[in-house]
Amino acid sequence: MIRSVYVLGDQGNMLYSKDYAKSESKTNLVEFLINLTHFLKTVDLEDKTEFMNVAISRIFFAKRDSFTFHFVADKADDATQIEEKMGQLVDSFMRDYANLALANQPLDGFDEKVDEIAVTMVKVAILGFAGVGKTTTLHLLRGETLPLVHDPTIGVSIKKLPEEVENANIVLWDLAGQSRFSILWAKMIANAQVVIIVTDSTLENVLRSKKLVTLVKDEVPDAKVIGIANKQDLPTALTPERVGQILGIPTYELVAIDISYRDRLIQIIRRAILEGKAEAKAA
Amino acid sequence: MPEATFVVHLDDFQGFIVKARHPETLTLNEKVLNLIFYEQQKEKKETLAVSEIEGLRIAIFSTPQYPGWMVCTLLGPEEDFDVIRGELSGSGRLILALMSEDDESVNLAELVTSGSVLKEKSEEQILASIFLTPSSALLLERMQAEGVEKAAKLSIWLKNQVQDEVDLREAMAPLMNSGIVKVELIGKTAETVFLVKDVFGYRAPPVESIQKAKQTHPNIEEKYREFVGQFFSPPPPNKGYNPTIPVDDPNSPILEDREKISRLIADSLNYMVLDTLRAEPLTVPDISEKTALPESLVMKVLWSLESEKVVVRFDEVDVWALLTNPRIESFVPEYVLPMIAKKVSEKEITPQVARRHLELLIQNCGEVL
Repeated sequence: MIRSVYVLGDQGNMLYSKDYAKSESKTNLVEFLINLTHFLKTVDLEDKTEFMNVAISRIFFAKRDSFTFHFVADKADDATQIEEKMGQLVDSFMRDYANLALANQPLDGFDEKVDEIAVTMVKVAILGFAGVGKTTTLHLLRGETLPLVHDPTIGVSIKKLPEEVENANIVLWDLAGQSRFSILWAKMIANAQVVIIVTDSTLENVLRSKKLVTLVKDEVPDAKVIGIANKQDLPTALTPERVGQILGIPTYELVAIDISYRDRLIQIIRRAILEGKAEAKAA
Repeated sequence: MPEATFVVHLDDFQGFIVKARHPETLTLNEKVLNLIFYEQQKEKKETLAVSEIEGLRIAIFSTPQYPGWMVCTLLGPEEDFDVIRGELSGSGRLILALMSEDDESVNLAELVTSGSVLKEKSEEQILASIFLTPSSALLLERMQAEGVEKAAKLSIWLKNQVQDEVDLREAMAPLMNSGIVKVELIGKTAETVFLVKDVFGYRAPPVESIQKAKQTHPNIEEKYREFVGQFFSPPPPNKGYNPTIPVDDPNSPILEDREKISRLIADSLNYMVLDTLRAEPLTVPDISEKTALPESLVMKVLWSLESEKVVVRFDEVDVWALLTNPRIESFVPEYVLPMIAKKVSEKEITPQVARRHLELLIQNCGEVL
């Protein structure tokens, strides 16, 4: 996946940057890219996209006029696909934004264009205490038959949504809810764009789940957090509105064992992704 | 001999990825990887622990230096974990250090069969960590000026300096781990910090290496001396590198260079190559043999050391030698003695604190000398 996008000007000045995954060595990376940009001035890439391996990443780069474009991606990525995306980015930039950049004007609209081109994967984490229906929600989203026996998740179960949403693959991280695995939650939700907090809609569980909302807001402040009031078919279930009030996040009703909820849930995720992008832009 | 070795990385998006395995036929399932990660997450420091997972005995090595990475070794039923513990830690350390440089070029089978290891951090490397944490370096300066200080007072001073919330224990950790300061409870509540060693980071001329070059590579000796001479005492008006200029002098190379030296020394791969070259000039295959690092990696390290003016290459004989010898050394801070005397006479510290400080200095004297 493309983890970061950088566009640098003639003097190695940063014109645009976006990280889709946090990196611990960002300062070193930026320094490296600036040096690479200076070096590329002496080389003719013939409008092609080239790449080089740096530690565990692969850096793709292209040059047009006085601009240098970089993608930080994974070594396992399909190089042809990334090169294609680089081509799209370069064309779009040169067509609509190069003059703005030369005039030191803000690159309005470029960010959305970058998202459209570069976002290939969105991480959605499903969090909640044991037995609230996280794995059932995962099965529902994947359109799978539900298992007859409850088999608690160990650690994390990672699955893809069969269809793309907003041109991106959705990777679902279903986190184990048993308290012994709580030490993993903060690590496992890192870089999630959307976190779904599943409750079983009982007052006791919803009150407990408030802790999860705090954890998510601390660990991934940029993520869009939504609540799920599951098991709405049970007589003791609190309404989604009440669950949302207690959790302090937008909350939606669900009966995870009812397949008719699938499309609705996917729409909720789509909306969360879009809202997340809009909030990031506003910030 | 362990049955298998594999390296697992938790990627934030794609989940568990087995980055390397030996033998190639080894298969693992998601549950095993999850449980390995769970076991490893219980510890926050460098650790090697053996766990029974799904009927397998797995030794898991991890370190906070490379979060999300684990080197796992499948132990046979007869294998005595305690006997091979040191070997497994050293090999885990080396595998992760190499993986972080370039995961694709790591030949796990070769590393495992050759028994290559990366030793635990040397004293010099532990000392280097002081200059890599800005608040620790600040604290050291303060302790050099004060000699002895109450922890509470030091904490307030540090907060004022950095203008932010700062955890004194965390900032103090590199100083305590390297034995530069000792923190003790004197009396009922007064936690006191004592400076018992001081530390000095500088580039020494590579004397030993030049002398050895005279015997082993006489053809480069003259040029070698010339290179080193140019760095340390070039013809005027250039000043050269003089570590004896006081740190507050704008011409002092110390402050600017100290962090660079510390970074070089703290990096284990750099340090292995650097330490090997301290004794004599060597070729890449020689360094590779002595350090058990692959030649490609040795080359990378040498290029990076060359750009920092630590090593120099003699093209005609394809030999590398130290241009400068970065060192971080500790010494007994005798200068604190008058400070202690003054503080006692001005009743800033009690005689009990002063006595304890002297005891610690005497104890330490033996260690340093």
